[in-house]
Amino acid sequence: MSTGTSPSGASIRDRVGSAGDVVLKVEDLSVRFASDEGPVNAVQNLSYEARLGRTLAVVGESGSGKSVSSMTLLGLHNPKRTTITGSITLDGTELVGASEETMRGLRSSSVAMVFQDPQSSLHPFFKVGKQIAEAYRAHHHVSAAVANTRAVEMLERVGIPNPARRAKQYPHEFSGGMRQRAMIALGLVNDPKLLVADEPTTALDVTVQAQILDLIKDLQQEFGSAVILITHDLAVVAEVADDILVMYAGRAVEKGLAKHVLSQPNHPYTMGLLESVPSASEEVQELRAIRGAPPSLVYLPSGCSFHPRCDYQDQVPGERCVTELPELRILPNGRQIRCHLVDPERVLSQETSR
Amino acid sequence: MSTSPEAVDDATDDATDDATDALKPDDVVVDTVVHQAPRDVANAPKLLEVEHLVKHFAVREVRGLSMLRSSVKAVDDISFVVREGESLGLVGESGCGKSTTSRLITRLEDPTSGAIRFRGQDMALMKEKELRPLRREVQMIFQDPYSSLNPRQTVGTILRTPLDVHGLAKGREKARTKELLELVGLNPEHINRYPSEFSGGQRQRIGIARALAVEPRLIIADEPVSALDVSIQAQVMNLLARLREELNLSFLFIAHDLGVIRHFCDSIAVMYLGKIVEKGWKRDIYSAPQHPYTQALLSAAPDINVVRGVPPRERIRLKGDPPSPIDPPSGCRFRTRCWKAQDICAKVEPPLELKESSGLDQVIACHFPEVKTSLVAEVS
Ligand SMILES: Nc1ncnc2c1ncn2[C@@H]1O[C@H](COP(=O)(O)OP(=O)(O)OP(=O)(O)O)[C@@H](O)[C@H]1O
Ligand SMILES: Nc1ncnc2c1ncn2[C@@H]1O[C@H](COP(=O)(O)OP(=O)(O)OP(=O)(O)O)[C@@H](O)[C@H]1O
Ligand code: SF4
Ligand SMILES: [Mg+2]
Ligand SMILES: [Mg+2]
Repeated sequence: MSTGTSPSGASIRDRVGSAGDVVLKVEDLSVRFASDEGPVNAVQNLSYEARLGRTLAVVGESGSGKSVSSMTLLGLHNPKRTTITGSITLDGTELVGASEETMRGLRSSSVAMVFQDPQSSLHPFFKVGKQIAEAYRAHHHVSAAVANTRAVEMLERVGIPNPARRAKQYPHEFSGGMRQRAMIALGLVNDPKLLVADEPTTALDVTVQAQILDLIKDLQQEFGSAVILITHDLAVVAEVADDILVMYAGRAVEKGLAKHVLSQPNHPYTMGLLESVPSASEEVQELRAIRGAPPSLVYLPSGCSFHPRCDYQDQVPGERCVTELPELRILPNGRQIRCHLVDPERVLSQETSR
Repeated sequence: MSTSPEAVDDATDDATDDATDALKPDDVVVDTVVHQAPRDVANAPKLLEVEHLVKHFAVREVRGLSMLRSSVKAVDDISFVVREGESLGLVGESGCGKSTTSRLITRLEDPTSGAIRFRGQDMALMKEKELRPLRREVQMIFQDPYSSLNPRQTVGTILRTPLDVHGLAKGREKARTKELLELVGLNPEHINRYPSEFSGGQRQRIGIARALAVEPRLIIADEPVSALDVSIQAQVMNLLARLREELNLSFLFIAHDLGVIRHFCDSIAVMYLGKIVEKGWKRDIYSAPQHPYTQALLSAAPDINVVRGVPPRERIRLKGDPPSPIDPPSGCRFRTRCWKAQDICAKVEPPLELKESSGLDQVIACHFPEVKTSLVAEVS
């Protein structure tokens, strides 16, 4: 919210339901891949909800399971090598174990996906306008001309100059920022209830990133859809998200309102991440890096997966951090964390002011 | 405003001690060090002077049915100085010429024209043989910790090669290699391992050790932490900061992350389409930027402090993308995206100069500069 205006979630004129309705409910989701080294536990016991008119940010380091959890929504994993358990309900339909046909239907009507690399979703050999028009016709019985008009409208809506001319071009004739806009236009042409954006601005310059984030915020206001934003960039989360889910080694470790979590983290990992990021508006004397590196998902550490890197184990009686996996629990302040610390808020805030 | 220099001075001494303590030969070391040294870089001797540096790449361009010969004006008349112990940050959008600049200074690329003086010696036109001793003093750290190391060489070989090339540490090469690993916080026992056996952050440490092997004075770091995870990025930044102190290194530091630049650099040059549009001390650039492009960059940079009750910043959003460097706009290259552009901006190229009236130190290339203090919400 760089402007300080329009707190997302307020004053939404929605077309698809009312603001706050749950569109997507993920419950106890686990995703495991077979690999040469052994099973990869990419996602374990993950639960979250996406609500209309709200943006949920899923953050974590590379390999923490952010993309896998969202790809699972779209059924994009090879079923032979993947074991999925738990439940994903999209708009009332169960997706785990659903037929390919059900998935295909939902994929193009209820969910839109925007990836880091728009090249991977825009077909290189078809004109951009044509691709958007075809996506529209898959769900609407209209003539090609009507669909084309709709495609041009969508390109205009996402801020592409000369939309009629641009519609007739191929993806490679677009700049990176324009391709990302076209991708969003393609995603939104059928008014999806859920937009999943996986690192949508990571490859873009800051000035273009700001345009795209603004666009996603505006469109969300206009269409009232739910947005899941997957990113490793906490500053982006601070600017656009309502809710946040922090993942570490395939599991949720902290969940809550974005502005609360980012201003006062309750999990040692979230705290470590926040202290690792240098800010453009503040000069800190030193960055307090988290030591070590994230674990392999094939050989997860015992107990709390974060324990080899955590500085707070001594605050937990016994060796629980090493021996016992903490449950995701709800704190009195409403925050959810996966950590044995009894009073994390106190322990961590003492640390900050040290 | 930023921290006062005195406050920084005080904090530095003990933190540097910490840093040395923290230097244990473990797999991963956490560096705790203060980067803002009590350095008076403004008056330090000049180490690198770049003057009117130009690089045009000849390209063929398809226009309609014909093929035209044209040139990419990747770097188009830029000048700057890096002093002993200074870290100069280079920022700007993708394609503005940052990497080309670094490749010119390390002479991986030949300049079209201009001078690159290292301790007064112009290396722009030097032949490979004359360059050799200077190559030792100017080393590069790359963005990609995966492709910049030869996967078939052990770490020991990777670090030994530059020693052999420059005839350094004769007779004690192995010991020196181990020292280097220790210096960057890697376990010296791992000397016989291959790059694939290290994580991304550790590989970046190997790249840093390789650069340091030949005892350089100036490090050209092209996005050295961009490919790393946040937690690892902080480790590598702290390592670079510690090395900078211990070895009194100078840096040309390229990054797109304005938080990273603010943390590491003393001074900043902002590039747009092959030109420097604003250059000055970090304090002035962040708290009182004058060029519209610098202002737009700062305003667009996402900032984590927005959730911590800092006052809202002024919001500037540029339209579109930068134009092609093959056919840059006449006059001021930024004018096609600038909200202040007037006729003169298309006709006359604004020189990079000091604006006395602002009372600030930075140089700006703009016909209508204006100090804005509202773009970065300072946390005090
Ligand atoms: N098809 C697959 N087969 C085996 N392992 C996989 C597969 N897809 C993903 N993984 C593994 O699952 C883990 C989680 O991957 P995921 O792509 O979700 O990470 P991420 O959090 O999105 O990271 P990034 O920030 O790098 O995109 C990784 O260790 C990855 O190597
Ligand atoms: N060998 C080359 N031949 C032709 N054009 C080139 C060559 N190398 C670079 N360019 C062009 O020069 C311009 C500047 O490129 P450069 O790599 O220096 O940008 P950059 O600022 O480092 O961008 P990024 O942030 O994306 O790394 C770009 O338009 C690029 O396409
Ligand atoms: S459970 Fe223990 S090791 Fe894990 S984050 Fe909490 S304190 Fe640290
Ligand atoms: Mg991913
Ligand atoms: Mg570059």
